[in-house]
Amino acid sequence: MKPLGWIEKWTLRFAVVALIFLAMTGFEGVLMRTYMVAPEALAGFERILSVFRITEREPTPTELFYSMMTVHPILGIYGFAYMSVMGAFYFLVPYLLKKEIRHKKLVPVNFWLQAGGVMLCWLSGFVGLFNSLYTLYWPLPVSFDRVPLVGTIPFTIGAAVIMVNILLFSFNIFSTVLSKSNPQSYTFWQFLRAAYGISRLMKWLGKEDKSAPNLDYNAMPVFIVAVARGSIDTVINAFVLLTAGALILVYGLAALFGHPLNPMAVNALIYKNWFWWGLDMVADGNVLIYTAGVWYLMIPMLVGRRLFGEPVVRTVIMVDLLVSLGVWSHHLLGDQVQPFWMRLLSGQFITWGEFFTMGLTIFASLMTIWLARPVKITPPLLFILGSIFGFIIGGAAGLTQANVGLNLILHNTQWVIMTHGHTMLLTGLSMLLFAVIYALVPMLTGREIRSRALTLAHFWFWIVGSVLMTYVMGMAGTQGMLRRMLYPLPNPYQAYLDVAWLGGILMTIGFLAFLANLVATLGWDSIVGLVVERKRPTPAASG
Amino acid sequence: MEREERIWLGVLVIVFLLVNAVTLSPLVPWQKWMLWARPTPQQQVRVEFGNYQIYLPSGGIQVKAGEFVEFIATSRDVTYGFGIFRKDGRMLFQMQVVPGYENRIIWRFDQPGTYDVRSTEYSGPRHPEMFVPDAIKVVP
Repeated sequence: MKPLGWIEKWTLRFAVVALIFLAMTGFEGVLMRTYMVAPEALAGFERILSVFRITEREPTPTELFYSMMTVHPILGIYGFAYMSVMGAFYFLVPYLLKKEIRHKKLVPVNFWLQAGGVMLCWLSGFVGLFNSLYTLYWPLPVSFDRVPLVGTIPFTIGAAVIMVNILLFSFNIFSTVLSKSNPQSYTFWQFLRAAYGISRLMKWLGKEDKSAPNLDYNAMPVFIVAVARGSIDTVINAFVLLTAGALILVYGLAALFGHPLNPMAVNALIYKNWFWWGLDMVADGNVLIYTAGVWYLMIPMLVGRRLFGEPVVRTVIMVDLLVSLGVWSHHLLGDQVQPFWMRLLSGQFITWGEFFTMGLTIFASLMTIWLARPVKITPPLLFILGSIFGFIIGGAAGLTQANVGLNLILHNTQWVIMTHGHTMLLTGLSMLLFAVIYALVPMLTGREIRSRALTLAHFWFWIVGSVLMTYVMGMAGTQGMLRRMLYPLPNPYQAYLDVAWLGGILMTIGFLAFLANLVATLGWDSIVGLVVERKRPTPAASG
Repeated sequence: MEREERIWLGVLVIVFLLVNAVTLSPLVPWQKWMLWARPTPQQQVRVEFGNYQIYLPSGGIQVKAGEFVEFIATSRDVTYGFGIFRKDGRMLFQMQVVPGYENRIIWRFDQPGTYDVRSTEYSGPRHPEMFVPDAIKVVP
């Protein structure tokens, strides 16, 4: 392996820890699937783990299940996905802009804070049995007769660490993009105006600001445009969740010191709107924009052709940012107290904006590949095609439920979380992140991926397993199976659960093939060396 | 914008218009009264949620098939969900029960029979217990 530079080493460190979090969240997923199929199968395992828990009494199986379900997405999104993104962006942004990261000291800070914050959240679920689920609907997280206080306080602190860290990361990315070390520099306000398309609108109205160069981002790589615009969603998400976490923490500390506050002092509907507006900046904001950016970057590199329809693509990214600000009500379609016009406008019509932005994004990506024929299907390209497939299926499932009529029978069913949510995350986003790893490993280390057979095994086991699991559970959803529900035995949806469990096992086999391939490519010593600095023997000592 | 992009955008617009027109139309049965008409319900049923319990009117709920009934659900503590299910487990409809509000929904049962009520929103570890079998009797 060629000697690694400083940033290359940190990128690989982020990737290794991201994969550890993916392994953890995947293991939890298999445990939860196993519990739903055969609750007694895990009884011995639970007894052993309970030794490590801080509870006055033996936790019930449902408390264990829901605390695991609470931290499962934290590991997957803020552990696996965010750490992958941080590692990749810290390499790619300076690489493409041909300048260094603006605040290099923040890179290791981001690494440790993100890993530490995620682990603290995980411990609050594993040890403290925090079970409010990631939606944190008010006032459940401060209902301490249901959600243990001993879990709530560390969870909110862990979440706050993650959110502050994401703000620091975004600051560093913005700072790098805007830094004046090259002629393509922006002031902060020029950047914001450009991000929201105001300068383009002014130009269209014949009022071009000629003193501000490159305001429509035309001179920047399209990937950087996506990173910059997606990071606006990232900042909003972190800020909103930080405020919600602070509110919960205040209630938690008040209860801890014997002065409990009245939960009804906070309006549950306003809180829900605020919370979903911020949370959706991930699901319908930066995930889509970052994903589009990575497709726009990698596909032309892999097929050796300029991106098809690049001017349209730049507009699409801007529109996606605007759309992401207005779609949150599709999470409140089941709330009859939410004003109808908001459900229809924000929950349905504006959400359909993503149909256009993702539709055009996928079209540009596939046209680029089509026009570049004959194309060699390399591992990254293979996984990119898989991710496009995942976003098509998951996106269509999302639009089906983002409908004031159909949501009445789909809301909170397995359709929502599996056919939509998990298809987006497992088939769409995860396969994209795998593609990035398959592309970056040879770039960073000079070593080609070792085994084509293991790569193909990873691809097919993962895509078949994820689609099988999410499709089958979605079908159970159409038959009335709720998400977040443990049905008593005999479970009316047992056949669906059995097939979904098989899907989870197939994905696990695929992931193990991926890990084996990485170890075979990099060597165990090199991977360990990323974490543990080893002193090279001096000539005298070795001689 | 290139020719292929214009054609594709046109396809997207057609799909958008078709799907939204169909799903907002009376072809979706409940849109007839949720969107296109404001029927006056012949019956009102109050349901209260609290402490993992679903409190139905004493004497049970009996409604006539084909008549409009308004369900008014309230919560004493956290957010719950009010879901009505057929005996085979398929959901008829549901809504969120947000504390501090009267959560209202109008429904018309077409088929006589008995229906179950289940909370459709997670409200804590005892959430799966919130199930009332044969809660609603629909008579011809």
